[in-house]
Amino acid sequence: MKKLSLNFWGLLPAYLVMSLLMVLPLLIIFYVSFMSSDPYGGYKAVFSLDSYTQILYSYDWDENLVLNLQYLKIIARTLLLSAATAIICLLISFPVAYYISRQSHTMKTLLLYLVTLPFWVSMVVRVYAWVLILSNDGVLENGLRFFGLIGDIDSLLYNNGAMMVGMVYTYIPLMILPIYASIEKLDSRLIEAASDLYSSRMNTLRRIILPLCKPGIVAGFVLVFVPSLGTVLEPMLLGGGKTMMLGNLIQNQFGVARNWSFGASLTVLLLCIVLIFLMFQARRTNLNKEFS
Amino acid sequence: MQSFTKISLLAIGISLAAGANAASDKLNIYTWAESIDPVLIEKFQTETGINITLDSYTSNEDLLAKLKSGSSDYDVVFPSQHFVKIMVQEGLLKNIDAKNMAAFKLVDEQWKNMWWDQKSEYSIPFVYGTAGYTVNRDKYKGPANSWKEFFEPTGAAIGNIAVFSTPDEIIPAAQLYLGVEFCTEDSAQMKRIFELLKKQKKDVAVYSSDNISSRIASGEVVMHNWWDGDSMRTRKNNNAPIEYAQPKEGLVGWLDSMVVPINSRNVDNAKTFINWMSETDNATIEYNYYAHSSAVKIDQSKALHQAENSPEIFPSAPIKFTQACSPAAQKLVDKVWTQLLQ
Repeated sequence: MKKLSLNFWGLLPAYLVMSLLMVLPLLIIFYVSFMSSDPYGGYKAVFSLDSYTQILYSYDWDENLVLNLQYLKIIARTLLLSAATAIICLLISFPVAYYISRQSHTMKTLLLYLVTLPFWVSMVVRVYAWVLILSNDGVLENGLRFFGLIGDIDSLLYNNGAMMVGMVYTYIPLMILPIYASIEKLDSRLIEAASDLYSSRMNTLRRIILPLCKPGIVAGFVLVFVPSLGTVLEPMLLGGGKTMMLGNLIQNQFGVARNWSFGASLTVLLLCIVLIFLMFQARRTNLNKEFS
Repeated sequence: MQSFTKISLLAIGISLAAGANAASDKLNIYTWAESIDPVLIEKFQTETGINITLDSYTSNEDLLAKLKSGSSDYDVVFPSQHFVKIMVQEGLLKNIDAKNMAAFKLVDEQWKNMWWDQKSEYSIPFVYGTAGYTVNRDKYKGPANSWKEFFEPTGAAIGNIAVFSTPDEIIPAAQLYLGVEFCTEDSAQMKRIFELLKKQKKDVAVYSSDNISSRIASGEVVMHNWWDGDSMRTRKNNNAPIEYAQPKEGLVGWLDSMVVPINSRNVDNAKTFINWMSETDNATIEYNYYAHSSAVKIDQSKALHQAENSPEIFPSAPIKFTQACSPAAQKLVDKVWTQLLQ
């Protein structure tokens, strides 16, 4: 009994912080999403499902209610670009993490420190750095021209490629760190045993290293994929604001478009996508545990 | 127990009083990016002992969203005319009895008792100007005397246009070009606007209202939506090879006023600031820095920007001021913009 109350009182600050700073705001968003919107921003306390029907149906120029796939297109684009970001991050991170794990102790500390270093700088500043690198007569263009690798080219900025570069750069530490952690734990004797048994290098990677690093890879994938879904800055600053991701659409509803209820319903939708993804992930992890 | 309650109440009272006291030398200003001369901020702080915290925005929509959220803590903000009207309607502004403030006597007669604040209760007009577009003359040699060049670009401008990131001024510009009434509720007319912007989009490099000067001065883009004074300031200060276009269909006019949000906690300081900024000496310093036309009296003998060296703010093109749209018209504006940027 005494132990229980200690548990309760000891965790109370955490409960309070979580409920005040996370659960309460989510409940407010949920509430606003079922209210009707006010033409000049804000919401009216009148129940309405408009903000949810608006995701699929909208009025065309002749005021007929028609099926409108523009928002689904934005959602599909968001999922696709986030998955692409996670996959590119994975392809780059795995060799990097493996390399770091094979270094001496001091070297490891230094390299890991370098990987986390960007987190000390504001994200806006880091994305703006890419604007300077990619802009006309920017660092990259001038560098390439100096070495005679390119002639006259179109701007490297304001396209989907620039946006992907920004996203991969922003989220890659979140992929390197968990993969590194799982490679660290890898028993090197297993690799020796594999090579003793005449396994090729490729085979060792595929059948020994990758399966054992799977938890790290999965964790990294989740850590990159989920925040990518909410990306706002990169499409705006590097993509030129021409194509939206879900984060931009939501931001627009609270700003320019002044439709808070629709913004809230889109937020709920984004949350659902994330939750479904995480639940699916948790189920698979549990199944794996049961099998082993 | 009772004495404990009393003591804690007393403690709360003291801390509240202390808080109120501390708040009385503060002033939170939310204004257009790079609009107020830093020299004036310094001068105001030394002369009055009031400490200014400065935040900035780049669109009226951002400002409205901030005020509407109810959580903002600003004492002076600078909305354009149509947004003053909306904010008054929505009960977001404090009645500061503007017509009896010292600043009001310094306001140019032509800007008194305007349609957005007919009884001059809420706002002191401060600066005015136009929204149009600027071209980089190193990269673009073609004409710049119509909105046609901006909306239907040719030559070097193809693929190198930059447009404001909010619809507030770009849709009126498109309406001037196509001869559509501002704030029309006619869906068919707005569809024409949408189609024009949609066609222009393939030549748009970026939709942005931030960092315009570096983007156009460096030639990253060759045409950029911009404001008259900002364009002139970059031309004069940085010797940039740029020209503010004079579209024959007209420029989009705006006038920014100083107003006090309803939940301001430093109203007296806000009024002190508004009066102080309108004093002729300070208004002249601000005019020379910001380079937009002043709605209050300035000292012409010290004014740097005169008609002969400032075509931007003494435009040859006609000016048409934006209006406060009805909810129905606003809905059409939002529809154009959402469909455009989907």
